[in-house]
Amino acid sequence: MSDEEQSVEAEPAIATLVRGRLPDVPFEASKTKSYADLRIAPGHFLALVTGLRDDDELAFDLLRNIVSLDMEDEGLWAKYHFYSFKHGHALQVTVPTPPGAPTIPSLTALYPAANWHEREAAEMMGLVFEGHPDPRNLLLEEDLRIHPLRKAHPLQKAEILQGIEDGPPGVEV
Amino acid sequence: MSVWPEERVTPNSDLDTVDMTVNVGPQHPATHGVFRMVLTVDGERVVDCEPYIGYLHRGLEKLSENADYRQAMGWWDRTDYLAGMCCEGAYVMAVEKLAGIEVPERAEYIRVLMMELSRINSHFMFLGAFGADVGSFGTSFTYAWRERERIYDLIEEVSGDRMFPTYFRIGGITMDLPENFESRCRWVLGSIRQGLEDLDGLLTGNEIFVERCQGLAPVTPEQAIAWGFTGPMLRATGVPWDIRKAEPYSVYPQMNFEIPTGHQGDVFDRFHVRLAEVYQSARIIEQCLDEMPAGRVLAPKLAKTLRIDDGELYMPTEGTKGEYGVYLMARGGTQAYRAKLRAPSFSNLSPLKELVVGTYVADAIVILGSLDIVLGEVDK
Repeated sequence: MSDEEQSVEAEPAIATLVRGRLPDVPFEASKTKSYADLRIAPGHFLALVTGLRDDDELAFDLLRNIVSLDMEDEGLWAKYHFYSFKHGHALQVTVPTPPGAPTIPSLTALYPAANWHEREAAEMMGLVFEGHPDPRNLLLEEDLRIHPLRKAHPLQKAEILQGIEDGPPGVEV
Repeated sequence: MSVWPEERVTPNSDLDTVDMTVNVGPQHPATHGVFRMVLTVDGERVVDCEPYIGYLHRGLEKLSENADYRQAMGWWDRTDYLAGMCCEGAYVMAVEKLAGIEVPERAEYIRVLMMELSRINSHFMFLGAFGADVGSFGTSFTYAWRERERIYDLIEEVSGDRMFPTYFRIGGITMDLPENFESRCRWVLGSIRQGLEDLDGLLTGNEIFVERCQGLAPVTPEQAIAWGFTGPMLRATGVPWDIRKAEPYSVYPQMNFEIPTGHQGDVFDRFHVRLAEVYQSARIIEQCLDEMPAGRVLAPKLAKTLRIDDGELYMPTEGTKGEYGVYLMARGGTQAYRAKLRAPSFSNLSPLKELVVGTYVADAIVILGSLDIVLGEVDK
């Protein structure tokens, strides 16, 4: 079973393909329980995604999903899931941002589907998507400036957090 | 001959019209839930549309990160509440894949059966409500509700609840099917096919209905993919993409079924794809009933408290509205570090402005109806 052992050690095939097609873009490849994961710095992110979309061998034409993550000491992260109808392959791209500078270039110009996903990630986690045409709150109230999915945010009603209502006795907000 | 003076009937007359703002929703029957859109109209024409969502935001993701893996399942039923089984199925399968839990084969067959029953339920909701949107008022609703009631009875018999069954468990399902389930299910399938024929005759056989739907808000495959459309919305444009075939899960690889597609991606194609999908779901249910093996329905030796080490995954499933994906990240412990829902209605609704601008107000309601959104899923 040396082949299998080797393939566990080796990069996922799709990551090798991306590296071959886009040699100028530096990224780290790893595996998740479902798809291959490419980790890339925010500065190179737009170059990678442009390549993923426009290269014929890659042709990732569907942006499925954007996940925002609060990794506490490691800053805020975003994860993007892509799929290619032409080749039937899928990929996850992770963009870690340093603590205190949660800025990632917006994908709305490349994928119109990114619009609402980015608005949701921005309000829920506090990520900033540079170049987004409409950076308003989407699910929360328009003037609410809280980021409920951050780990530091307590599981509590928004009204209690804003001081409009009293919380249950004995619970610190 | 028109009773109006000539200049009143010409749309592009020199009359100085003023744009008017019309608020639709959030409490409005035509928005199918608590969805609000602000239309700017020039006479009967829509010149701008601004959708507002979030009225049903319950913080699903935050709640799932603050409850253990088994407790959190109950929240996921309440996303696409027209097809609770599909939602809990997606969540449960994601946790199982993350934890490496094997599910008994009988449980897989029962899951697929229940998920397809839910899909039929959701599509009947669409067919009934969409008929009402276009103008058949009560009749399409009544036909659809007759069948939905029978499906709900089946789901209630199996799980004890109608809309939020919480029937699945991590590692299988709660309990085996009740006695005589097979014969009753087969009877319901016959009734479903009859109900579909009734609806097909009532709507597709109605010239006014077809006239109003054909050619309305057409979407090309390229547009659909760029906007992130999945499910019937994408298949209506002619792309035969179904996650049950493209990235199969559970026992779907053993099932024989086709992927209905449309040609133009207009409102009529979206309606027709969903109608055709119900027949395919009925086929899958019959195969499940025929081929279901005997055996246990819950994996043995499951941990009392489920702990999952480091790991992450994105689990896409074919929900009733499109790609219902669950992202989970575990970093040890009994709770997910991050849970994220990729809701199909969320992406299908986002280009509403592009679809609606330039049409009449009455058509805007029909276009919104054809998206088949469910706000529990959009707002999370």
